[in-house]
Order: sequence, then structure tokens, then C-alpha cells
Amino acid sequence: MTIKSLENEKQMDSTDIALFVRVSKGDVVKWSRQSIVDALLRETSISPEMADKVSREAENAIIASNIKFITAPLIREVVNDKLVHHGLEEERKQHTRLGLPIFDVDQIIRNHNKENANVPHGPEATNLSLAEAIKKQHALLRVFSPDVSLAHESGDFHLHDLGMIDRPYCSGNSLEYIKKFGLNLPNALSIAKPAKHPEVLIGQMIKFSAALQGTFAGAIGWDAVNLFLAPYLKGIDDRRMEQLAQILVFEYAQQAVARGGQSIFSDLNLYWEVPKHFADVPAIGPGGKFTGNVYEDYIGESQRFVQALLKVYRQGDAYGRPFFFPKPQIHISEKLFKTEGYEDFLTQVAEVSSEMGNPYYVFDRGDTAKISECCRLAFKLEESDFNDAKTPWKMRYSAMQNITFNLPRIAYEANGNDDILFELLRRKMEQAVKGHVAKKRFITGLLNMGNTGPLGLLTMDTDGEAYYRLHKASFLFGMVGLNEMVQYHLGSELHESRDAFKFGLKVIAFMNKMCEELGKRLDMKFVLEQTPAESTAYRMAMLDLEHYPDQARQTVKGDLASNEVYYTNSTYLNVGSQVSPIERVKKEGMFHPLIEAGSLTHIWLGESRPSPESIANFVVKTFKHTTNDQIAFSPEFTSCLDCGKNS
Amino acid sequence: MNIRGFVDTSFVDWDKKVSCVVFTAGCNLRCTFCYNFGLVLHPEEFDEIPEDFIFNFLEENSDFLDGVVVTGGEPTLQPDLEDFIKSVRKFGLGIKLDSNGTNPEVLMQLIAEGLIDYIAMDVKAPLDSEQYSKLAGVNLNSSIGDIKKSVQLIKSSGVDHEFRTTVVPGVHTKADIEAIAKSLAGADRYYLQKFQPNTRFDKLNENKPQSDAEMEELAEAARKHIPSTEWRGR
Ligand code: SF4
Repeated sequence: MTIKSLENEKQMDSTDIALFVRVSKGDVVKWSRQSIVDALLRETSISPEMADKVSREAENAIIASNIKFITAPLIREVVNDKLVHHGLEEERKQHTRLGLPIFDVDQIIRNHNKENANVPHGPEATNLSLAEAIKKQHALLRVFSPDVSLAHESGDFHLHDLGMIDRPYCSGNSLEYIKKFGLNLPNALSIAKPAKHPEVLIGQMIKFSAALQGTFAGAIGWDAVNLFLAPYLKGIDDRRMEQLAQILVFEYAQQAVARGGQSIFSDLNLYWEVPKHFADVPAIGPGGKFTGNVYEDYIGESQRFVQALLKVYRQGDAYGRPFFFPKPQIHISEKLFKTEGYEDFLTQVAEVSSEMGNPYYVFDRGDTAKISECCRLAFKLEESDFNDAKTPWKMRYSAMQNITFNLPRIAYEANGNDDILFELLRRKMEQAVKGHVAKKRFITGLLNMGNTGPLGLLTMDTDGEAYYRLHKASFLFGMVGLNEMVQYHLGSELHESRDAFKFGLKVIAFMNKMCEELGKRLDMKFVLEQTPAESTAYRMAMLDLEHYPDQARQTVKGDLASNEVYYTNSTYLNVGSQVSPIERVKKEGMFHPLIEAGSLTHIWLGESRPSPESIANFVVKTFKHTTNDQIAFSPEFTSCLDCGKNS
Repeated sequence: MNIRGFVDTSFVDWDKKVSCVVFTAGCNLRCTFCYNFGLVLHPEEFDEIPEDFIFNFLEENSDFLDGVVVTGGEPTLQPDLEDFIKSVRKFGLGIKLDSNGTNPEVLMQLIAEGLIDYIAMDVKAPLDSEQYSKLAGVNLNSSIGDIKKSVQLIKSSGVDHEFRTTVVPGVHTKADIEAIAKSLAGADRYYLQKFQPNTRFDKLNENKPQSDAEMEELAEAARKHIPSTEWRGR
């Protein structure tokens, strides 16, 4: 708060009291009651008469306290107190001040943020935490309606990334855009023309990713990276190919110097085959010019580059540790099996799985195609997207926000009654959807401020429309604890009985149908996603232990004594249960067709390093015999940060 | 069959395949480095797994499985091994058999009937009674002849096979490994396996397992007789 009109003596009708105010811009000024009136009129919907009354009451209270120095925030609190006395609840909210207790700030600066393991501790990271804390308060007070905010705070559902309220959630991007238009970022000092050499293109891609990370909360994905790079790789020998792969992976992995000291959450979508929808598309090459060939003609370079990338992933960093970002997303489609050399390719990928664990296997069955993000989010391409594929620089997708439901709580509230359970689920989705509408309105407002606004980067228009294609944005609904919901409702966990499993499917099918209905009603795109929500699963379990102790004690997983509790993530089967990997990919995979924005099954490999051929064999069977959308393997080892060795 | 262990999905036990693994109870040897020692000495301490449980699993998941690995203990001690294998084959699955080679007659019968797709035999020491008995923990006397017979049988069977030796630190010398390899000459595959600590023998054996370089050196020695020799346990 700044007190502006102090010099204006005429406006002061109060006694000339000997009180000094420390204002936030770093000055000490004389007391002025008028400043309170000004602020109330500027910031709230209060009437001038009431403003005057409140300001006098506040002044009296302050004089009576005999204080000699007072801070502007304290005056504001005193004024808020008076507003409350007059029942001016709305005005008090409008007049509130956001911030943190000094104790909390001290903790944040000194101690490591436990909530987000991806964030290293340092001044950059604490800047981020502090900023997020304030933006989160702003979001809950200003962006969302009180009932939606309350539902979030009480743990009915979770609005993700509130600290990044002014950014969309995540994005899928196309290298073709940079190839065609170069790097032309708003506010950039210099503008780069379309790249002529692969090193330059890769550099532009990473710079652009860093810029995008500044405007998105979540992952930055890139489609068909090896294929779109291929026209730049003609005649390049193996050694240089490998160096290029190293540049790509290391430069991404080392961007931990970017926003808040975080790595860029990046995904590289990779193909062995030339995906059907790109095969006949005219290729863009050096200088942003069409080469005269189509992408199918570049299969050789594309394959050599993906092999080089896999080598880099297999070797790991200088200590042999795996790279966490960028994540390699290996696509498997019917066409893969008709593409020469696929067996050796899969074995090479599987070797990386076995030794390092990074690859995600993305299954594109039939005519589906996907771009994968952030572990599991995938944008399934629709009819109109396949049209976009002819002009691949247009292929830019985004999910704007993610809201995750606390499913076990619904079961507690339904108390065994099917009808009530589905009715509650419907009501909570109806309520949560208001959160999506609010976010859309807020982001649209920021985008409408154009290229000088906060989301200027997303409004840049080089191809007849803004970079951020608002009409393509989807809105995600996630879920935590289907397993515990079913466990409480029916008495057995998903893997324990056929009825429990069937009921689980019914719940997710219902949610999927609700998405469709809501989408039609509001002309927005709602889709289910398996939220990567470990911290949300913990938060919800803790809140339920507090508010539904009798019920939650029966279902939460983990260790009650040490408070290390959680609900099972999304639609997963109990991670600790003795379910064979085969049954896991089959059963969990039955949920996947209902969860259109992406799902994943994790396979733990145990201590021994399995044969890559066996893993590849398992992957092929998962593609052929299940409806599972995506799998990844985790070898059981931990990277020791102290010694840098794997064990 | 007396089954006391079941791994439903393995990417390790049968190269290139997705398999499941069945552990039978009991053994006629007492190798001090045995890593299934409990199964050998006190099988009753493990729950018996009914065959039907396994067959149900196979029935539901034969689309994912290539085969079943039968190991132990020593599977050839089970009187109904052949019936079990025949039942598994009805699901269209292959069989890998692990054996210590003390029952050549059983092996011969199974091979003759075409019931085995892959056979892996442990060779513990150079094939003389005294040395072998020391590592196998029982006095073999003339049974060393059975083990030799099994080696010959497997080599000439036409069935895919491997021989393998767990290298015990402080016990096996390079000359021992070379001698074993010599007696196996003509085999498809020979593997040296690195000693895994935390077994019963570990407590008795103060020596550290061989280093990767030492394992490679031993493998190189064995390659004089079996050029494809590799080692496992990196
Ligand atoms: S033969 Fe095999 S199962 Fe039997 S004691 Fe020796 S190592 Fe153990």
C-alpha cells in the first residue's frame, strides 16, 4: 500500500496527529486518513460515506493505541477489521493483502521445498516458491468462485498449479514451426531466421522450450523430433550424428538453470517408422524451405538419429546416471511392425529401459496418433488434427488446466449407496467445471492483452493465428484413489474381486461420459487424464484422515504412524499388491480407452537387469493383446547424488 | 508336483522370452553357494503352491507367456515332473528345465519325448569325484558318472542348451574353469556366473566376488574350448 496524497493538506480533515507511516515503497510519511479512503474507493465497491466512516474508526483505533510508527500493512489490517465489523465481507476480500508470515518466508528461504522434488533449493527456487504462494492466494480469491476455492481447500478436488494461475498447463509443439519461421520471440533482442544447420535448429528448439516454460506450468512436448530433424541430417556421418544427439539431450538436461532452478519438463516424441499422417507431407529443410521431398524420403536419417539418441540415453550423463529430462516417448504403431529393422530398434530401446529406465512406450493402435507430454498426458489427434498434419507447424496443442477429484471421499459420503455415489460424483464434476470456465476466462483475458501482455509469447502470430490456439485447448479432469473408493464402497480393492474391478470401470466410464456432456453444454473440450499427482494423493489422504478419520483409516495406504500416507494414484491397482506385470498391463489397460488424455502403467523390474529382448517381447505383446495406452519400466536402482553412482 | 515357489512374470530367467518360473522342493546336492538353500533344506517353510493355481495363471495369460522355467531345488527328483510338463505344454507354452545333471535317465526320457525346449545344466567343478564333491557338499563317489553322462546327453541332444558354472571366490582357479570348459567342449553355450553375496556360503566365505575384469579373464580362459563363453552378473 502506498499512501499518495499526503502532500495534499486540503484533503486532510483529521487532527494533525504525530504519527508516521512506513509505506511499502520504502519511505516514511506522515499520517493521512484520506489515504485510507482513497484506497477503499479505488480497490473496493464500498460507498464514499461508508469509506469515510470506516477510515475514521480505523484512525481512532490507531490513535488510541498510542503507537508512534505504523506500517501500511498493519493499517490495512485495522481497516479490514472495521470492514468485518460492518459486515462488509466482500469489500474486505477486495481490500485484502496477499503475502506470507515472516516465519514462513524465512523457512522457504532456508529449507528445501519438500512438496516438489523436482525443484532444487536455491535463490531461484525460493523466488519461485514465494511468487507461487502469492499467485495461489490470488487465484483462490480472484479467479475462482468461493465455492470452487473452498472445494479445493477442503480437498474435494484439487486445482493444479494454482501458483501458476496465469499460465496454461502444458503444451505440445512442432519443430516445423521453428524450421519455417525461425525464432522470433516477443521482447527478444534479436530475431533468428530459419536455421540452416542442425546445431542451430537444436539450439533454437531448446531456447524456445525455455521461453515456453516461462508461459506454461507443465511439460513442453515436441512431436516427431527425429523425423522433423531428418531433412537437416542428409550426408551427416555417424560421429556428428552422435554429437548432435548429445547436444540435444545434454542441453535440455542441463537447463536446470532455467525457471526457478527447475529442468524443463520436456518430452521428445520419437518414431522408428514414418508415421502414416506425415509420410506424404512435404518436408521442410535448411533455411525453412521445402526440400521438394516428402517425409517418407527421410526415413534413413530419421532412424539414424533416433538410434544416436538412444545411445546417449543408454550412456547417461558423465557419471552414467539416467537423464530425467527430456523424456523419450517411443511410439509404437501398426506401421512399426512393417518397417524394416524394428526388432533391433525395439531391443535397443528396451536396453535403455533395462539399464536406465527412461523410455516411455506410447501405443498408437489402429488409426490413433498421439503427442505425449509430461509422463502420461497425451493429445489424441482428431480428424481436424490430421488435416493440420499436412501443415505440421500448425500442430500446437495445449491443456489449459487440470482438476483432480478425491474419489475415496465420495465413497465415504455415499456410505455404500450406489445412487448417491454417482450423484455426488456428478455434482462435484458440475462444480469443478466452473473452475475450468474461470481459468479459461482468466487466461483469455491475459491473451487478449496481445503481444505486450503477460502472455505475449503465446499471442505471436506468424501463420495467420496466435501461437496458442485457444480453440484447441483441452481441460483435464483427473482422479486420485479409484482403488480406495472401490475398496470403501464394496469392501475389496480393484485387484481383489471382479465386481470391484467392474465397478471401478463403471465409475471411470461415468466420468468420461460426464466430460462429453459438459463439453457439449459449454462448448469446451473436457477429457480425463491420469494425473501425475503423487503430492495430491498424499494431500487428499491427509485431509481425509482429518475430516473422515473413521473411513479413511480403513483405506489409506502407507504408514499411518509416520504420516507417510497416500491414496493409490488415479486408476492404478494397489502398487504394493501381488499383481503380475502381465495382469497389471491388462487390467490397468482396460481403463485407458476411457482416459483419453493419457494413462500409463508402470512396471517395476526388480533387482536383476532383464534381457532387453524379453522387455521388447513384453512391449510387443502389450501392444497386441491389451488396450493399454502407455507403459514404462523402472529398474530398481537409485542414483546416489553424493557419489554419483548408480546402485 | 511339490512346488514351493512361483514367479509369475520373468524377463530374466529365459533369455529373450517372457516366462514364469516354478521352483520345486528339495535337492540331492548341498552346494554351499546355493542361493535357494531354504528350498533345498527346509522346503516345508514355504507355502506349497497348487498346480491348479499355476495352470489358472497360464490359462489366463498364455497370450503373454512364451514358456515356463522349471527350476529348484532339483526338478528331476519330482516323480510327476513329466506330467506337469505335459500339462504346461497343453497351453502352447515352451519348457526350460534347470538341472544339476544327477539324473540322466529322467533327462533322457524328457528329451526323447520332445518335452524340453531349453535345458540349462549347472557344472559345479571339474568333473572328478573329489573336486566335485567338495563343491556339491555331498560325497558323490560313483555318481560323478551320472553327471558326465548328462553332459554328453545334453550336448548331443539337439535341444537348445547351456552349461553354467558359479565361480566361487577363493575356490575356483583359472585352471579349474579351463578344465570344466574342456570337458564341455562342443556345447552350444557356456556361462560363468558371478558369485552373489548374501547366500549361505557368503557367511562362510570371506572372499569378495570376482571383479568384472577377473570374470572376463576367466571367460577368456574358457573360450579356448568354448568360443562363445560369456559371463553373467554384472
Ligand atoms: S544343485 Fe542347485 S539347488 Fe541343489 S543345492 Fe546345488 S545349487 Fe542348490
